[in-house]
Amino acid sequence: MATIVVLVILAILAISAVGVYNRIISLENRFQNAWSQIDVQLKRRVDLIPNLVETVKGYAAHEKTVFEEVARSRQALMNAKSVNESAEAANQMTGALGRLFAIAENYPELKANENFKMLQEELSSVENKIAYARQFYNDAVLQFNNAIETIPGVFLAGPMSKKAAVFLEIPEAEREVPKVSFAG
Amino acid sequence: MTLPGAGVLPNVITDRATGRRINLLDWQASNRRMSWLLGLIMVALLGAIGYLLAQVTNPGSALFFVSVAGVIGAGQSVVAYWFSDQLALGAAGAREATKDEHRYLVNVTEAVAIGAGVPTPHIYVIDSPAPNAFATGRDPQHASIAVTRGLIDMMDRQELEGVVAHEMAHVRNYDIRFLSMLAATIGAIVILRDLVLRWFQFGAFGGSRSRRGGRGNNRGQGIMMVLLVALLVLGPILATILRLAVSRRREYLADATGAYITRNPEGLASALEKLGSYQGDGLEVSEGVRHMFIVNPLARHNGVDLFATHPPIQERIDRLRRT
Repeated sequence: MATIVVLVILAILAISAVGVYNRIISLENRFQNAWSQIDVQLKRRVDLIPNLVETVKGYAAHEKTVFEEVARSRQALMNAKSVNESAEAANQMTGALGRLFAIAENYPELKANENFKMLQEELSSVENKIAYARQFYNDAVLQFNNAIETIPGVFLAGPMSKKAAVFLEIPEAEREVPKVSFAG
Repeated sequence: MTLPGAGVLPNVITDRATGRRINLLDWQASNRRMSWLLGLIMVALLGAIGYLLAQVTNPGSALFFVSVAGVIGAGQSVVAYWFSDQLALGAAGAREATKDEHRYLVNVTEAVAIGAGVPTPHIYVIDSPAPNAFATGRDPQHASIAVTRGLIDMMDRQELEGVVAHEMAHVRNYDIRFLSMLAATIGAIVILRDLVLRWFQFGAFGGSRSRRGGRGNNRGQGIMMVLLVALLVLGPILATILRLAVSRRREYLADATGAYITRNPEGLASALEKLGSYQGDGLEVSEGVRHMFIVNPLARHNGVDLFATHPPIQERIDRLRRT
């Protein structure tokens, strides 16, 4: 009789352990996939930049400092290896692009250029998508961390060698989406 | 159990006004269950009506009547499940948006979809100056969002995000599937009722009774008649009241979920303010799809309306702004 009770308890424990294991793995996959979402948008931004710089140069060729700054951050982003390096470079690029668009304000002809308007909308919406993707990533990280730091996940996290993942910092200024006019 | 499209939203949304906590996974599961149930109700109801019709006219052919009605009900359910989105979009006069023409709308929708953790839905535009929007489809993988030209023109980016997030919440919560099935069920009952009423008008019933005229059979037929009329008249009324009651909670929940997706309740609140103060022409759409819109396409927004499908706009704004 006692043997049966022990066997039943062991079986229940084993089944719950499998459930917890699967949950931790699927949450880990989820936040890693969430990162790839951010990566897609970062690549898209890198692709848009040469076109943007060419367009702006057509009207404001002498604003060399800001072009160099954009080029540097683009290079840094393309060379980034880890999640943190990418995030760092992406923040730099956001700043550089912000200054580029601020300069564009001084050139009415540039602002009226159709291609420039299109690129400005694309880039600001890429920024927006990055912000959303980052929010999604942080939510996923939070769920994963909660799962491995609370009971019962905490009992398995050690043997599975899972460590808490790091949140991405959201620069305060970035939640402000640049105002762009779409009239006409 | 992992639900498709469950994403990383919290499973529990707290209603800002009442402090009541609603479990989103339960809500989704209930929507899916209710959708199945509606399909079954559609079959059962039509079967019952077939049976009653047979009793009134010719009890010997009951099996035939019930089978035909059951098959029609099943067909109706299948059509509702697979094609209701196309029907609703067609009824609203929506056409698919292209990135070239509606770059702004497409970008905003893509961004919100990333935040909500659902695939980007198909995006449609309705050519009307009245600002409005709705979502349809059977699940997050087959969802469509339609907005009017007036909405795009009137809203700034954060407001448009708020509206799109509200619709995305309907998608994620499986409200769209439930509402489509409900619309189809009600539609089926209404059509049947109209058919039978017309049939009575032409006196088909009187003719069959005088021909047979059995003992005791008359009383049975009388009861059946009452049941038939009750079913046909009360059915749609009850269904409508149910739909209205359910819709209001659904809208509050979609507002709360939408605010969570954008992390910006003010965007949706300010969009609702603009929607509420709009005084121009209404949006002409058929009755069957009216309840799917973010705000009632025809209503003048003053006072509390018991039969409104949507909660009063001011109440929704207040709930979003209460933190």
